This record gives sequence, C-alpha cells and structure tokens, in this order.
Amino acid sequence: MLNLVPNSFVPLLAELEVGKHFYWEIGGLKIHGQVFLTSWFVIAALVIISVLASRKVERIPTGVQNLMEYALEFIRDLAKNQIGEKEYRPWVPFVGTLFLFIFVSNWSGALIPWKLLHLPSGELAAPTNDINTTVALALLTSLAYFYAGFSKRGLGYFARYIEPTPILLPINILEDFTKPLSLSFRLFGNILADELVVAVLVLLVPLFVPLPVMILGLFTSAIQALIFATLAAAYIGEAMEGHGAEEHE
Amino acid sequence: MDPIVASASVLAAAFAVGLAAIGPGIGQGNAAGQAVEGIARQPEAEGKIRGTLLLSLAFMEALTIYGLVVALVLLFANPFS
Amino acid sequence: MNWTLILAEEAGGLFDLDATLPLMAIQFVILAVILNAVLYKPLGNAIDGRNDYVRTSLAEAKERLAQAEKVAQQYEQELADTRRKAQSVVAAAQAEAQTLAAEQVAQAQQEAQAQREQAQKELDQQKAAALSSLEGQVDDLSRQLLDKLLSIAA
Repeated sequence: MLNLVPNSFVPLLAELEVGKHFYWEIGGLKIHGQVFLTSWFVIAALVIISVLASRKVERIPTGVQNLMEYALEFIRDLAKNQIGEKEYRPWVPFVGTLFLFIFVSNWSGALIPWKLLHLPSGELAAPTNDINTTVALALLTSLAYFYAGFSKRGLGYFARYIEPTPILLPINILEDFTKPLSLSFRLFGNILADELVVAVLVLLVPLFVPLPVMILGLFTSAIQALIFATLAAAYIGEAMEGHGAEEHE
Repeated sequence: MDPIVASASVLAAAFAVGLAAIGPGIGQGNAAGQAVEGIARQPEAEGKIRGTLLLSLAFMEALTIYGLVVALVLLFANPFS
Repeated sequence: MNWTLILAEEAGGLFDLDATLPLMAIQFVILAVILNAVLYKPLGNAIDGRNDYVRTSLAEAKERLAQAEKVAQQYEQELADTRRKAQSVVAAAQAEAQTLAAEQVAQAQQEAQAQREQAQKELDQQKAAALSSLEGQVDDLSRQLLDKLLSIAA
C-alpha cells in the first residue's frame, strides 16, 4: 500500500485502502466478506422495494409502484431497443436485474457512508468496486448471449464466427474474450476510480470540495449501470439475430 | 522492492493515465461539438442527442479508465515487486 | 515515500479473484429469479393489463364518439327537413293569402265597374229623357211661334 501521507496526518474518516479485503473462509475457500455484506444490503433493498411495489398492484399506480413501474418501463424500452420487439420479453429479467443491481450497488457505494462502519480489514464499499463482482456479472452476460444464440439458432450460431470471411475467425473468437473483459473492467475501473478520486479529495480537503466530484460520481455510476445493461442486451440481441451480412443475403 | 522498479512503476502509472486521457479527450471533444451542432440544427431532437452523447461519452471515458486501471495495478498491485 | 507493495504477497490486492466470483454469480442469478417473481411478472402484467385497458377504452370511446356523431348528424338532417317543411308551409300560406287578396281586389274592382256602368246608364237615360222633353218643348214653342206669326200675317 502506498502511503500517501504520514500516518499522523491521516484524518479519521479518510484512509486510502485499495486492495485490502475482509476475508471469510468457507470450506477452505476464501471470499471477500465486505463485498458480500454490501451486496446483501443491495439485494435486500431491491427485494424489499420490489415487494412493496408489487404487494398491492393497482391500475392507477402510486408511490413505490409508480417508481418501480417507471424503472420497469425503462428497462423494457432498453431491452426492446437492443434485442428487438419479438424476442425481448424473456430477457427483461436478466437485463433488468443487471441494471437494477449495478445501479443500486453503485449508488449505495456513493451515497451510504459505509466507511463509518469499521471492519477488521479492508472497508465496505460498493459491491461493484470489487473485480469479482464485475467479472461475475460479465461472465454471466457471456453465458447469457451464448445461451441466447444457441437456443435461437442451434449450431448455426457458430456460423457467425466465419461470417464476413473465414479470415476473421481469430478476431471473432477474440471478441468473445474481450467482451466480458471490457465489460467488467469498464464497470470496475469506473467505480473504483470514482471512489478513489473522492477518497483522495476527502483526504486533501475534507469539506465541500469533494461534493461536485461526488455528484459527478453519482452521474457516472448511473451511466455505467445503463451502459452495462445496454451492452448486455445488445450482445444478446446480436447473438440472436446473427451478423448483418446474413440478413442481406 | 527494487528502487528502479519502483520508480519505473510510478512513472509508468503516470504515463498510463496521462496518455490514456489524450485520445478520449479529443474524441469526447469531437463528440460534444458534433452533438451541439446537431442540437443547433435540430433543437427538437435534443433529448435523443443528449442521451446518445452521454452514452458514447461514457464509452470513451472507459478508455481512460483502462489506463487508470493499469496505473492502479502498477501502484497497488505491482506484479514486479 | 514508503513503498510497501506487500498486499500482493499477503494474498489480496486489487485483482484478487477467488471464490467470491462464483458465489456472486449464483447470488445474482438468485436475485434475478426473485425479482422475476416479485417485480417483473406482477408489474409487467399490471403494465400490460393497463395498456390493454387503455386501448379497449380508447376504442370504446372512439366508437361512442362515432355513434354520437351519427346521432348528431341525424338530428341535423331532421332539423333541416323540418325547417324546409315549415318554409313550404309558410310559402303556401303566403300564396293562398295572396290569391285571396287578389280575388277580393278583383271582385271589388268588378263591383265598382258595375256600379259605375249603371250610373253611366242612368245618366244616359236621364240625358235622353231630358233631351226628348226639350225637343217636345222646342216643338211646342216653334208651333206657337208659327201660330203667332200666322195670326199676325193673317
């Protein structure tokens, strides 16, 4: 760990801790406890608000139901735009959960002062601040679009690897690896960078100055959730319809 | 840790972020300029243009973030230490 | 500056992939299933139901509007018919009155003519009577004059 400032200088709230984890051991496997604690919080929040929203469904929505219906319509539009009118319905839960989970995670990391709760090691932060979470989500996305392609087109799905010309085969295969890599690193890097910038600013000037950066962080967090969900939906849609070349023939 | 590796890592981290910021900076400037032009030409399409602009800005931003991730690796998880 | 990049050694660091990853994936899938049951299905059904409701009520309203327009048109037609009928009645009455008035005027004129003619006739008779009596007197006078002249001469 890089000591940015002498220890006597470090304010109470702000400590730069990067790459420290609060380990739990389950059956000889090490897991990151702080990630699970915050992710359980996020999951609980999502489930509770969903139950509240759908507990008493009314024709004229009010309050929580209105909010969640707005979110659902937003997700549906997103999926419809990316996957297409015909096929989007079965994918709404996946894309929607991606969006909601990432969005609530990011905002919980930005809005809730997790750092006030001290852990023996490491610190609480947004679940998406951990590479494991983002890689897990990205791999699930990969699985999802493979599944979508296979279930829709069968073995013909492999035809897309040699689609424009067979020369592009290596690049097409490489794309399958770069997709989850870029997805996970984009999300991870953005959230981590955001929290780091805020932490550094808080370290330097603890009052007011970090506020605009925090607001910018809220904005980028929301955009990142949108991007992740949009890209996942776009990949799924692309896998189902095949490359454009096939359609023109 | 070898002081040469340490100093090289710090320099490399600085360069990683700095260089990674150039391209996306130009790209974002271009995109924003074109978007403003588009809004000036068609003010009624502002909402759509703004949404697309933000999305593409975030994509470009991600490139810088990749550089930042490399810098963070060098600083906090240096494989050569 | 104190370079202590020890974290990578003591198992940790920024890119520490471990059992968190699969557990997180499982957790996420479970979350998706739960949200599908408590959020996407009920609210999706609600949204679809509402869309259907709106669509059907819109169609119904349109139908009703068309019906109302039809009825309004019918009324207007009837109104126009009635107005036309009333106009024709008025015209007929006017014509009748005119003919009546013309008849009466003609009759009156005829009567007046007849009276005038009768008066003329009476006048002519009296004139003729007066003329004849005058002639008789002229004859008398001329005879007397002749007698006197004859007497004088004789």
